[in-house]
Amino acid sequence: MTGGLQRLASTIVLVGFSFLLTALVLWTSGYGVGDVFSGTIQGAITATGAATSTVRWAIPLLLIGLGVVIGFRAGFFNIGGQGQFYMGACAALVVSLGWRGGPATLVILCGTAAAIIAGSAWSLLPGYLRVRFGTDEVLTTLMMNFIGALVLQYLTAGPMRNPSGTGQTAASERIPEAFRITDSSGVSATVLLLVGGVAVLVWLLLERTRFGLTMTLVGRNPTMARWQGIDVRRVGLVTFGLSGALAGLAGAVELHGPGARLVTGFSPEVGFTAVVVALVGLLSVWGTVVAAIFFGGLQSAILFLPIVTDLPPPALVLLHGMVAFLVTVKFRSARRRRAPLVPEALAD
Amino acid sequence: MEQILATTLRSAAPLVLVATAGVFAFRAGIFHLGLEGLMITGAFTTVAVGEATGSVELGILAAVGACMALSAVYWWVIGPLGANVIIAGLGLTSIGLGGTAFALGAIFDLRGSMFTDVVLPRPVRGITSGPGVIIAEHSILVWLTPLIVLAAWVVLRRSRFGLRLAAVGEYPFAARTAGVNPSVMRLKALLIAGALCALGGAELSVGALHNFTENMTNGRGFIAFVAVIFGAWHPIGAALAGLFFGLADAIGIQSQINITERVPREFVLMIPFVLTIFAVWVGGLWRRRSLEAEAGYAELREPDY
Repeated sequence: MTGGLQRLASTIVLVGFSFLLTALVLWTSGYGVGDVFSGTIQGAITATGAATSTVRWAIPLLLIGLGVVIGFRAGFFNIGGQGQFYMGACAALVVSLGWRGGPATLVILCGTAAAIIAGSAWSLLPGYLRVRFGTDEVLTTLMMNFIGALVLQYLTAGPMRNPSGTGQTAASERIPEAFRITDSSGVSATVLLLVGGVAVLVWLLLERTRFGLTMTLVGRNPTMARWQGIDVRRVGLVTFGLSGALAGLAGAVELHGPGARLVTGFSPEVGFTAVVVALVGLLSVWGTVVAAIFFGGLQSAILFLPIVTDLPPPALVLLHGMVAFLVTVKFRSARRRRAPLVPEALAD
Repeated sequence: MEQILATTLRSAAPLVLVATAGVFAFRAGIFHLGLEGLMITGAFTTVAVGEATGSVELGILAAVGACMALSAVYWWVIGPLGANVIIAGLGLTSIGLGGTAFALGAIFDLRGSMFTDVVLPRPVRGITSGPGVIIAEHSILVWLTPLIVLAAWVVLRRSRFGLRLAAVGEYPFAARTAGVNPSVMRLKALLIAGALCALGGAELSVGALHNFTENMTNGRGFIAFVAVIFGAWHPIGAALAGLFFGLADAIGIQSQINITERVPREFVLMIPFVLTIFAVWVGGLWRRRSLEAEAGYAELREPDY
C-alpha cells in the first residue's frame, strides 16, 4: 500500500502546512503563537472537562464525517451534511415536544428513528435526482443545506419557539430532561457505545461486505461498474440514504444529548467541517475517527481559548478553511498534461 | 410597492455583480463555490482600507486587488496543484468568512461589526414619495451594475476571449488543440471573477449600508452561484435571476413586516433554493445543455474521490 502511505504522508504535510499558515497569520496579527498553542492543548486535553468536551464535539463530526466517507467512496459528492443534520435534529425535536408525556425510552427511540428518516429523506431527494436524471449532486445538496437551515429557523422562531426565551437568537423549548441521553457535557456511556457501534458497523460495511466493495467500485469507475452488471442507481440511492441517515442520527444525538433544545443556526460549520474531517481521514473509517477527535479538540479549544488569550473565535473558521483549501492538493512527480476526461454521458 | 421595488434593486445589485463573476468562472468550467468568501473579503477590505485612507475609491481598489490575489491563489491550488475545485472553493469561502471576522478583531479590536462613514456616493437622493422612490438612494454601483452586466455579455458572447473561454469550459481538449491554453484562460476568468466579487462585496458594505458586519454576506455568494445556474450561465440570464432573487429577498423583508401571519418569512427565503434544485433538475433533462462547461469541470474534478 505505498499509494496509501503516500497519501497519508501528503495529507499530514498539507494539514501541517495549513496550520503553519494559520499560525503565521496569528503571528503577524500580534498574537502569541506559543500562548495560543498551549491554550489549545489545555482547551482540548488537559484542562478540567476539556477531554470530555473534545469528545462531545468530535461526535457530530464523526457521524456526519462517516456519511461523507460513504458518499465520497461511491463517487457521490454529498456535501449536504449540514442540512441533513438540521433535519434530523428538527425531526427529533418535533417527536420529543409533540409527545411530551410518552415513556422516555420509547420517545428517544422514536425521535432517533424520525431523525434518521428525516436525514436520509433530505439526502435521498438529491440522490434520486442524481441517479435518475444525472442532476449534479453538489448543487442540489448545497441547496438542501440552505433549505434545511431555513426549516430549522422556521421551527425555532415559529411553532416550536420558546415563548419565554430572551436571547437574541430564537430557540425552541427544551425537551423534558427524561428524554436526554447525556447531561450537558454531551458524553455518556450510551452515546459512546452508540457512536462506537456505528463506526464499527460502517467499517464492516465498507471493508468487509460485498456491498462496500461494490460501492468503492462504483466510485472508482461507474462505467465499468455498470458493465460488470452492478445496479449503479441502487448503489447510489443506498449510499445517499446512508449518508443522510448518519447525519440525521448526529442531529438526534445533538438534541437528546448536549443540546436539549435547538437554537437557530446552531453549529453552522459542522457539515463543512465534517467534509474536511473525512478528507483528512483519507476517506477511511478509522482515519475519520482520528480526524474527528482532532478537529473536535480544536472546536473544544476555541471555546476555551478566550480564558487565556483574546484570540477571536473566527480564527478556527479560518483554520478549517485553510485545511480545506489545501488538503486535496495532489503532489505530482512531474507536471504532465492530463488527458481530458470525457464526460460520462459522452462516453456512453 | 415602490418600496419593494427599491429594496429589490438594492438587494439584487450585489447578487448580480457576484453572479456575473460566477458566470465567468462557470464558462471556464469552474464551479466557483468561493464566491461567498471573495465577496466578504471585498466587503471587508473596502471598509478597512476606506477607513484607513479616508477614500472609498482606494478602498474599492484595494478590495479588487485583494480578491484578485485570492483568486490567483485559488487558481494555483485547483489548477497546477490539482486540488479539488469544490472543496478548495468551500475552503476559500471559510477563509474569507473566518479571515475577515478574525481581522476585524485583530486589526480594529472590534467584535461583530464596524461602522464607516466612507461610503459610495448616491447620485439620486431626497425623493421620499411617488415612483421616484424606486431609483432614489442607490449607490453609484447599483447604477453601474447594468453596464457591467452588458460589458460581461459583450466580452463573453461577442469577443474572441469569450469564445475561447467557452471552448475551455466546454471541451478543454479541443481548446488545447486550437492553441488555447485552458489553464491560462481559467486564471483570467478567475481574476475577472475576483474583481467582480470585490465590487459586489463593496456594494454590500459601503453601497447599501454604512458598515461591515461579520458574516454579512449571509449566503449571498451561494445565492449568486445559484443565479448562475438558474440563469443558464448566460450573463443576462444570471442577472435576471439575480434580480428575481433580489425580489424574493425584498418580499421576504416586507413579509416580515406585513404578512408574517400568512406566509412565514423562511418559506419566502427558500424560494431561490427550491427553484434552483428544480432548475438544475430540468436543466439536466436536456442533457446537451447540462453538458456545457461539464467537460472543463470534469477535467478539474478529482477522479479519485
